[in-house]
Amino acid sequence: MEFSSCHGCSLCLLSCPVWRQTRDVRLTPHGRAKALQNGASAADLQASIASCTLCGACEPACPEEIPLIDMILELRRQQPIQVARGDVPSEKEISVGNVLLAGEVLRQDPERLKRIASLLDIAVAADDGSDISRAIECGAALSSERLSSFMGSFRNAKRLVVADGLLLRKLREWLPEARVVSLGEALSTLEAVRARLRATDLYVIEPRAFHADHARLVRHYDALIKARNLKTNLDLQRLAVPTGASSAAKRVDPLDQARWILDGRAFERVVVEDAADCAVFARVTDRQVLHLGDL
Amino acid sequence: MPRSQSTSERSTSSQQTNPSRWQGAGWPAFVSSLKDVAVIEDAPMRGTFATDAGGTSYGMPHGVVIARSAAQISALLKAAQAHRVPVTVRGGGLTTEGESVAFGGVLLDMTGMSKCLFIDPQKLEVRVEAGIFWASLAEHLRRQGMDYLSAPLNLTSSVGGTLGVGGIDVNSARFGCSADQALALQVVTPTGEIVECSDEANPELFRRVILGYGQFGVITEATLRIRRYTPIRMRYYYYASLRTAIEDLQMLDREQAADYTGILTMMDAAINLLVAFDSGEREAAFDAKWHSRVRGMGEAAFSARAFLSYLVRPWRWGEALFLRDRKRQLFPEFRRPEHTRDGKMEDRSVVFSRAVWKFWGGRQMVIPDLATSSAKFAEAVERGNAVCKRFFPRYTLYCVGIRLREEHRPHYEMSCIPPDAAGWAYGCEFEPMIGDGTWSRDHLQSFKNAIYDIGVEMGASYYRFGGMMKGYVRRVFGDPLVDRHLAMKRAADPAMILNRDVIF
Repeated sequence: MEFSSCHGCSLCLLSCPVWRQTRDVRLTPHGRAKALQNGASAADLQASIASCTLCGACEPACPEEIPLIDMILELRRQQPIQVARGDVPSEKEISVGNVLLAGEVLRQDPERLKRIASLLDIAVAADDGSDISRAIECGAALSSERLSSFMGSFRNAKRLVVADGLLLRKLREWLPEARVVSLGEALSTLEAVRARLRATDLYVIEPRAFHADHARLVRHYDALIKARNLKTNLDLQRLAVPTGASSAAKRVDPLDQARWILDGRAFERVVVEDAADCAVFARVTDRQVLHLGDL
Repeated sequence: MPRSQSTSERSTSSQQTNPSRWQGAGWPAFVSSLKDVAVIEDAPMRGTFATDAGGTSYGMPHGVVIARSAAQISALLKAAQAHRVPVTVRGGGLTTEGESVAFGGVLLDMTGMSKCLFIDPQKLEVRVEAGIFWASLAEHLRRQGMDYLSAPLNLTSSVGGTLGVGGIDVNSARFGCSADQALALQVVTPTGEIVECSDEANPELFRRVILGYGQFGVITEATLRIRRYTPIRMRYYYYASLRTAIEDLQMLDREQAADYTGILTMMDAAINLLVAFDSGEREAAFDAKWHSRVRGMGEAAFSARAFLSYLVRPWRWGEALFLRDRKRQLFPEFRRPEHTRDGKMEDRSVVFSRAVWKFWGGRQMVIPDLATSSAKFAEAVERGNAVCKRFFPRYTLYCVGIRLREEHRPHYEMSCIPPDAAGWAYGCEFEPMIGDGTWSRDHLQSFKNAIYDIGVEMGASYYRFGGMMKGYVRRVFGDPLVDRHLAMKRAADPAMILNRDVIF
């Protein structure tokens, strides 16, 4: 961990949803780094460790380029947070070509999943690693057998499209040779999808994948915004405001985040990349809420 | 400016520059008396606030209070008066001389009060809690198509902290210092009264708190003037002479030729006059009337000239390589496509601030400055530049004008605005590029002293004259003025508990 590099500029606070809702520096990357510099242990930081949504907005904001997500994941391994465990898929398959890792929420909507798979002309992986993602997020132990079984499935895959932004980040580490892209990027690259976006749409970028590859993706989305004249959930730093709906941490209220994303913005439809955001926005606006794959 | 040599020597000889630690007498009783105020006493939290952006001053508070309301702060200050416990107020912590570092006592973290309370686009006003960062305020205002008038080019400066010291922006030559946009404040006085003040209501308190370096109250809420947001079109002119660039800057400011002006340099080898406009009309008017009078060169012409100049001076090729590399790093940052639309820069505060942190930020930031009248400015910058050269191989100068508002002159007394300035004041920050280099504290302090001595000799002022540099307060302002303010401070803060290490 490189927490010692933090010199306390507070830039990470500006984009942190936990900060926005609590105004308590102890619950932010800045607070954790400074506390560690002052001798705190993971146990001392339990509340802070449990509060992070892993949206990753702090990482591109950090001028010291501290790997803040790795830092919190390491702290969670030392101090796991309690959540229900996901099911371990029983099916075993070897994927080749293009594969979609749909994630828990999308899997629960077979119609939407089928539509997206058709749009992307892609096979849906039976084992999408949801349990692995959840274990990483919570700091739970991961068995090497399970990990190698999962990774073995994709050894011959050419392109992985991943709905879960946290899993995507780790897959890029684990499979450096593979082409791993987010579901949002994959869909928003399709001309058929782009053409259906309207200037009156509010487009909600999935933050975890976006921030994990911010330098590249900020150009991708900037081009999309300019081409379709979209409003988005990007802030002035071009960091994506998260709802936190996909997070295992429950400190952030997704409804409050969604209200902040909508605040002051004129729009007719909300178009989201993260399927978990559909339900959240539907509760705070009477306008149409669509997944990008529904267009 | 009154400055008797013998009086100054007498005063400064007995004045301590570095703050002393408060030893904690009566701390447990003080904490016990605070029934509804949570005091965080664990070492990691206290350590979070052990230094400021300067990174050269260290102090540990006995406890931290996260500000939540004016009533809570009132209770805190009343107890602090009764128990004589120092309270140091911190916003973004972007001081460089330890002004927001607590050497014992309570550290009051104002960022806990950082909400935008309401925006009135019709009246062009916003009301905020004072711990809000300017960048957060910009996020709120932009949703309504609005912008603040001016703010420090630093995303994590707080509104309250800025109103207490001044604040400069590249549009300060047009709008004045950032503190000038304050219309009304809610202040908790050092004795715990919650008071609304403005030019009309409690004007004396308003005058003392604005640019008051936190001596006369804690700003808890502020009403600010705002304006419609506009993206800006940037121009850059390059100079090899500081004096010529400063003369052009002052000419443009005097004639209000542009909406944004400032000088940013790489040593004195590449001097950049930045000029920008809020509208096409303003830019067209500039082209018609002022462009031909600006003596700076375009980027290509300046690069060619610099190349030829360095070609025949091989002993300066190291400097040439540094300039080339710096340009390659910096220029793309100012031209990021995601902040550019139709050739205009969007969110200038984000673009500039990110560059500031990325290319000038570090573990230690030493930024002595000089603030002078227009007439003295070129000489002050040239003398400061000579000091920079003596102490550091690489440095940056940042110069801007501040339009003065006659009706605000009472705010300016004993502040960064020099008393002899009329029309505009000018400020220059002298910032060595420390990077990962190691410099002794003696070296850094000597550099600061050498810059500040110029201010004493020239009758200037400083943007940063508190904290570790407070030994200069009497030298530059003179005993009568400082004693008058000290008497006011004693009347307002009988136990001298509020920000006690900053000025007096």
